[in-house]
Amino acid sequence: MRVGLELLELARSQRAHSIFVVGTGRDVGKTTTLRAIYAAACERKLRVGVASIGREGDMLRNDLRRKPRLWLQPQTLFVTARSVLPRTPASEVLAISSLQSPAGALVYARVASSAFYELVGPPTASGIREVVDQLASRSEIVTIDGAVDRIAALAGTAGAIVIAGGAATANTMPEVVDEIAALVARLRTPAFDPQAPAIHIEGALLAGRIAALIADGETRQIVVRDPTQIGLSGRPALAALARLRIRCLRPLRVIATTVASIGPNRAFEPRAFAAAVAAATGLPAFDVYAGTRAA
Amino acid sequence: MKPLTLLDPASAQILGFDWLTSAVAPVSPYGERRFAELRPFFAGEEAAAESRADSISALAAALDVDRLEAARVTLRDLPDAAGAIARASMGDILADPSFLELRRFCEGVDRVDGLVADRASRPRLAGDPVRAIFEALAPGRGEDGGFYLAGAFDAGLEAAREALVREQAELDSARGREKERAARELGRDEIAGDEFIVMRADLHGRLPAGVRVVREAPTYLLCSLEYGEAALAALARRDAAAEAAAEAEERVRVGLSAIVREHADGLDAAAAALGELDVLLAAARFAQRHGCVPAAVSQEPELGFEQARFLPLESELATAGRRFIPLDLALHDVAVLTGPNMGGKSVSLQTCGFVALCGAFGLPVPASRARVGLFDQIAWIGIGREERAGGLLSSFAREVLALKEIFVRNAPRLLLLADEFARTTTPHEGKALLIALLARLRRMRSCGMLATHLGGIALAAGVRHFAVRGLRGIPERPPTQEVGEALAALAGSMDYTIAEVAGDELPRADAIALTALLGVDQEFVSRAYQALVE
Repeated sequence: MRVGLELLELARSQRAHSIFVVGTGRDVGKTTTLRAIYAAACERKLRVGVASIGREGDMLRNDLRRKPRLWLQPQTLFVTARSVLPRTPASEVLAISSLQSPAGALVYARVASSAFYELVGPPTASGIREVVDQLASRSEIVTIDGAVDRIAALAGTAGAIVIAGGAATANTMPEVVDEIAALVARLRTPAFDPQAPAIHIEGALLAGRIAALIADGETRQIVVRDPTQIGLSGRPALAALARLRIRCLRPLRVIATTVASIGPNRAFEPRAFAAAVAAATGLPAFDVYAGTRAA
Repeated sequence: MKPLTLLDPASAQILGFDWLTSAVAPVSPYGERRFAELRPFFAGEEAAAESRADSISALAAALDVDRLEAARVTLRDLPDAAGAIARASMGDILADPSFLELRRFCEGVDRVDGLVADRASRPRLAGDPVRAIFEALAPGRGEDGGFYLAGAFDAGLEAAREALVREQAELDSARGREKERAARELGRDEIAGDEFIVMRADLHGRLPAGVRVVREAPTYLLCSLEYGEAALAALARRDAAAEAAAEAEERVRVGLSAIVREHADGLDAAAAALGELDVLLAAARFAQRHGCVPAAVSQEPELGFEQARFLPLESELATAGRRFIPLDLALHDVAVLTGPNMGGKSVSLQTCGFVALCGAFGLPVPASRARVGLFDQIAWIGIGREERAGGLLSSFAREVLALKEIFVRNAPRLLLLADEFARTTTPHEGKALLIALLARLRRMRSCGMLATHLGGIALAAGVRHFAVRGLRGIPERPPTQEVGEALAALAGSMDYTIAEVAGDELPRADAIALTALLGVDQEFVSRAYQALVE
């Protein structure tokens, strides 16, 4: 089983030109998943662009050791901060963006020699869309290292989304499974039906409003602009999505999950974990460490 | 653009200084730096002010709208190479993004020259230093317009990189063989990533050689694959080759940085000239858009114009589909301006201030012809000013304090624009204050215009008297109660012309006519007319 290749093919079969890997937290195998997809894309001789969603830039200040680096192949396009771009090996510097990150102005560059590179992205959702658009204009596939707390950046994307979850984020397997299922369910909020009655929500749909709608026994569609506008996570999100007909104008495309059964403080049984996530989400669950898939 | 002591903040706001600043703002970082240094011209700098306005007008005449816009787009897209030039001049070894900025700067200068210099008979900005840097960095230009420290810069670099590629391929091959072997022995397709899981149930016998257990769990082992002897040897050779390539790259950067350092002064001069051109192009665009002409800059504190416009209001009116009525005026001392409500007295004063402001910054002025003196202070008192203040003072007290500040400063060349100063006190005392103010301004040899509804002031103070001609007749009350329609009817009946009048103005009843026009009931209006003649 070659997980990266399977994920890449899954995305390409749905005509996605970008793949966002969004982790439910830290140490959940997000970067490992991204590496696997990237390696598969390189093997397929695709022109690849890679980017990161802001958070890594924030980490630079305080915790450089935790900063994931990617071994990038020649011809790969990437985005990083000017101050982080390595002097050697030299890259082809394509443009200096007006977008800023906490580590300075962003630069678009093309890898000339294989090496480890640090990715830094813009902190805003609009900046991330701009970066992805720029990379997409010069690439066949763009892979984006996402973060759950920068989820607004997904708004309006036509790319495929892979959710990475792992043992690091909660104490028990059921809790982690619920967490992953809630994020998947939220991001897979269906498109609204224009023929059916609906309440349109301007901006974010927050917990207070959701509670009021449930209390009122609302049966009409509750329509948000896109799934990132739903301001709930975990079990409360699952409950709200089950009790209300929450819909969106611009649906997102979640294609799969990946699981990391090992966390810094605990480990789950890999096959059972992947199977539980697949069952809870209705999506294929890949274990990038074990090289297995649960459907 | 800094007003320095020319304008206080309240006068700046009333006279549209922010609007003007925005209308003549440059687009490049070079232009922004130059723009931030701009200050008004003062007495003694008349030739320089006139020359600047002439240059701007010449540019506006030489360049059509499209060419001027193309030059501005080029300028807007230029990276800021000032930091790179400064660092190189201090002996720093520049990084590759800086080389990209410098090359794009040189390309931009050349493009701007092509768009502007040849057409407008201006000296080219791309001199020897710009050409030298352009040529030095040319081997690094990629197909996408990026910059790469290419092998073409140095044969040694090319060789070092080729060696690195060979060693990397050998390392990949050695490591790949190790991974393939381990995967095969574990019965899986591949080993991806640094760490991987081996299920105990799938493990028959011992782990393959080189596979190290990182962590054990009841049902699986978390493993990593150690480097074997062949891979370690290849890794050492690859690292040595990478170090050699890094040294070769840095040598090229040292050489390129030295060339930049050698031409730093020339590049600085080109950047400064580019900034100046950006500022001039912005002003030329302003002149084109608003039909501005260079004023004759007088050595006297005077102000005269034909067909002048107060551009902030003209733009606002244009948005509403209405037209600004241009004004003619000649002011070389102090004068009184009277006229009906909504007859344009305030706008006339604002037009005076705006034209004087444009002249002070060496900008073409919005008029068909103008003569402008350079003032040390352009001050506004009266209506409009009090809206900026608050607190415990009455509006009259605030006016008086503003006037006191003007007297204390005692600017040698003052343009004072007073809009209904002292209107909030008794007409009797207000008139006295205005007469005293006119006398003081004459003593200060100032230029000024005092708009008022009070009669007899010009005659009493012995100054010239201008008047807005006012309503040509009583406008028809519009059939609806729409304020917009009433204003349109008023504009159609109002003669905004300013004319010098001898003696005092004849009593008029324009205010009562306006009251009727704006929809107040007829009985009230009739009673007002009756009271007027009683």
